[in-house]
Amino acid sequence: MLGLAARMIRHRKGDFVATFIALAAGVMVLTVCGMLAESALWYRGEPERYSAAFAVVARHDITVQGPEVFGERETTTVPLPERGSLPEALVRDVAAVPGVATAVADRTISTAVAAAPGEPVSGHGWASAALAPYTVVSGAPPRGDDEVAVDERLAVAGRLRPGAATTVIAGGAVQRVRVSGVVKAPGARGQERALFFTDAQAARLSPRPGRVDAIGVILDKGADRAAVTAAVERLAKRAGATVYTGDDRGLAERPEAAAAKRLVLEAGGAFGGYAALIIGFAVAATVGLSVRHRRRDFALLRAIAATPGQVRALVLGEVGLLVLLAGAAGVPSGVLAAFWIRDQSATRGFVPEDFALTGGFLAVPAAVAGVAAVALPSAWIAARRTTRIRPTEALGEAAVEPALGGRVRLVSGLALLGCAVALIGLTGVTGGQTALGAAVAMLYTFVLAVALLAPWINRAAAVALAPALRTVFGDSGHLAAANLRANARGMVAVLTALVLSVGFGGTVWFLQDNLERQTVIQSREGTLAQHALVGAAGLPAAAAEQARRIPGVLAATGVRRTTVIVPFLGEATTAVAQGVDPQGASRTMDLKVKAGRLDDLGPGTVAVSSAQADSAGWKIGGRARLRLGDGTPVDLKVVAVYERGLGFGDVTLDNRTLAGHTAAGVDDHVLVRSAPGADVRPALERLAAAYPGGAVTGTDRFTGAPATDLAVGSWLNRLLVAVLVGYAALAAANTLIMAALARARELSLLRLLGMTRRQVRRMANAEQTALLGVALAIGVAIAAVALSAVVDAVVGQPVPHVPAQGWAAVIGGAVALALVSTAVPIRLLLRTPPVEGMGIRE
Amino acid sequence: MSVPPPADAVRLERVSKTYGGDHPVTALVDVDVRFRRGTMTAVMGASGSGKSTLLNCAAGLDRPTSGRVMIGAADLSTMSEKRLTELRRDRIGFVFQAFNLVGALTVEQNILLPSRLAGRRPDPAWLAEVIDRVGLGHRLGHRPAQLSGGQQQRVAIARALVARPEVIFCDEPTGALDSRTAAEVLALLRSAVDATGQTVIMVTHDPVAASYADRVIRLADGRIASDMPQPGVRVIAEQLATPAGGRRPVADREG
Repeated sequence: MLGLAARMIRHRKGDFVATFIALAAGVMVLTVCGMLAESALWYRGEPERYSAAFAVVARHDITVQGPEVFGERETTTVPLPERGSLPEALVRDVAAVPGVATAVADRTISTAVAAAPGEPVSGHGWASAALAPYTVVSGAPPRGDDEVAVDERLAVAGRLRPGAATTVIAGGAVQRVRVSGVVKAPGARGQERALFFTDAQAARLSPRPGRVDAIGVILDKGADRAAVTAAVERLAKRAGATVYTGDDRGLAERPEAAAAKRLVLEAGGAFGGYAALIIGFAVAATVGLSVRHRRRDFALLRAIAATPGQVRALVLGEVGLLVLLAGAAGVPSGVLAAFWIRDQSATRGFVPEDFALTGGFLAVPAAVAGVAAVALPSAWIAARRTTRIRPTEALGEAAVEPALGGRVRLVSGLALLGCAVALIGLTGVTGGQTALGAAVAMLYTFVLAVALLAPWINRAAAVALAPALRTVFGDSGHLAAANLRANARGMVAVLTALVLSVGFGGTVWFLQDNLERQTVIQSREGTLAQHALVGAAGLPAAAAEQARRIPGVLAATGVRRTTVIVPFLGEATTAVAQGVDPQGASRTMDLKVKAGRLDDLGPGTVAVSSAQADSAGWKIGGRARLRLGDGTPVDLKVVAVYERGLGFGDVTLDNRTLAGHTAAGVDDHVLVRSAPGADVRPALERLAAAYPGGAVTGTDRFTGAPATDLAVGSWLNRLLVAVLVGYAALAAANTLIMAALARARELSLLRLLGMTRRQVRRMANAEQTALLGVALAIGVAIAAVALSAVVDAVVGQPVPHVPAQGWAAVIGGAVALALVSTAVPIRLLLRTPPVEGMGIRE
Repeated sequence: MSVPPPADAVRLERVSKTYGGDHPVTALVDVDVRFRRGTMTAVMGASGSGKSTLLNCAAGLDRPTSGRVMIGAADLSTMSEKRLTELRRDRIGFVFQAFNLVGALTVEQNILLPSRLAGRRPDPAWLAEVIDRVGLGHRLGHRPAQLSGGQQQRVAIARALVARPEVIFCDEPTGALDSRTAAEVLALLRSAVDATGQTVIMVTHDPVAASYADRVIRLADGRIASDMPQPGVRVIAEQLATPAGGRRPVADREG
């Protein structure tokens, strides 16, 4: 049967090109997803500062207990946005484990060096140098509080030699230090340059008194590794921490490696899932069409020799061979695309520079197998139709156009449509994350309902549009309407693909636009301050205090950007938050408070956005239970609910609540409002000069730095939409081209009957206009409903903003699709003399 | 199997066929007919007389609404679709008016298709003889699109003969051919009956084609209107021109 399948493919290439393209593009997309996911799976980051440690104890994520469902307690593990910390006492406990030579406390202190303001520096205590190990190249280890040892690379960048003096800002304090020595670790290639204080100084500078960030374990010679690991794990478990050994130490050293790993795994999985869905749909459509075009061949096979099972096996064999061919074409392009995406992600900072792609030894076979796993069942479903081909069809001329579809299809389509309409109501009455979820569900339900109801929609549209087509296109339009009605079933794939592209693509793409725009607008409109003070490693709280004392300054607010963990539907999720110095905060920022007062913010209280209040169920005057970025639970009273959550974060806390619970422990920037006419800029610049990397910017160009996860999400979402829409358009174009080329006989007959070429083209144009018009109208309607619901829920604006280029892209894309996929093939067909065309076998 | 093969290659017993729908159409009414081994029968009749339905039912391509169809000793009415296909593959040959061949396959592959789907190797000596008889030895590697209509029909006949079927059904085998080519194709079918004792049942509206048969059955309105030994082209043509059972003689017509 495979030999026969191969001959069929070779002989009727045209019928298989569409399926082949759909499969090859599918293999490509899945190869990219697979390679990224596989690389993320193996990616551990490289242990540098911890390479000499046998194990590292750290707390980078937290497991939150959810509600009890059917006797099982659900738990979610959330990465801690600000890293967790460990009690100092744990260091002694770990050190006491038999077999442990030393347990070294490591504290990471956010640091900037004035001599090399552009370098990423992290400060540590000298004891932790043993974990790499760092060795002294020149000079000596730090001995006094004002001495530091610096990484060789930092020394080069800042021209620091032993004995040199420089200013550092560490843990929010500015100090003059003397370089005691230059140190070097074997194979330190990462981005962060280490700077060592004495241990006592590091403990003082740490934003978390009495706590350490990680504990490195160095073994005695000949210690029982398994026993030590087990004992340390028991201790760690009590503190909610994890023990990292072997390559995993890289994850302990750099939580951002773990975050990148998680992000890439999730994105790869989500992409792969969507891709699989749409590949199945495209393959089913193209195989179905190729089966329909070869009805007579199959009828002949059935009449003379082939059982229904053999015909199905033939169709499956064809698709199986095509999958292999598609693999040969799709894998290399997928590998190239994966490298491109890796580079883009690294440039954008979504993944660390050392995130490397692995060979894809798992991913490539998995991608081909995945496409086969999706394509073969789809082909099987399409092939089942061949069973219904009566062998007697081989005898006659007439090929019967199949019925529109079964009752099951109609009923489930209508049921889904009902669900989708009900979901519109749900998004209307809820808000925040719940509404967002409902809107996404509504989007899927709508698209699915349209896919199921497509034959009837096509038929109804053909009937309804017949008078209009006739008026506009004359007799050609009349014929076009008749053709549309007869081909209602054949054009199902086109309608579904276009509705999917426009409905889904439009919603997600323009949602990003709206979110970004709204973030910028809220931030701009809500920022009352004219100036912002920034520093390379943040600014100490004293900076805001000093700014307030400058004559002409009305208010200055130190702002910390952080992330907190909030409850969501019984689970936990993260929310963007800001910590402010509440003194005068209402004069530097206008959060558009709906209820309560921002001035009431203090330790023990919180202000939240209305979207966040909705999804967490918090009320003004009530309690909000959440966890700070390091996992510490807090129970705060809600004193204000505000609108501008996108621009300023969904949770606003007093900086005093955050103290000791953020990794940096400093303000990210200070917002300064000056009296009208007062020129405070020179004074502010003098103030900024006191801090490494310090600068003053106008808030008109300062966008409040939208959270990075929004930027990541935006780029990934756009990429996803582009791939999905591209794929769906490909499927639609495939179907249209196949359908157009199969019309050689019909068009020849029409011309022999006296139709001019022009009339034939007009007929094709009329069909296209109606078909694409209906698809666009439905797609736009779905996108409009879903987009307004989401934007209303998240932004609080009922009318979403759609840029003019957006409209142009949607409509221009549809017209281009129509031109490429039908106008060109029809034009080619019309070049064949009609008498010759009649002889072409269908 | 010690039972000697029945003398009838095909037997229809009280076969009726009604096509459903809002306005049911009765295509065959209580047809009883037997086709003897080693004979060639022409089934004639006006359009809509039920001759194609008769062929479809007799060949197991379509199922009668009531009645029984026997191919040799096998009763078609109780067979599954798969068994029917296997029966067609092993014991029935087909020659249709057109679209007889799979375009993707060469002449040789088309001839061997049924054996291949059945997973059998045909007897090479017999295959060589059949190919020689249809005179296509030099065309085996060609594709159907490269052949004339007559050559295509000869390929179809070769395909039908290779399996040594119980019976060969032909549906207007010369309908799309000019008279000279048609004569060659009909002679080939005739020789299959005479030389190798094949049974041929042929639906045709062409009196010349019918004149190659041993027996001519004429259908009208789903019933057998006449059943007689082959009386010659002229009589057949006259019979055809007459409305069912009528006596009105019409002008002599041939062709």
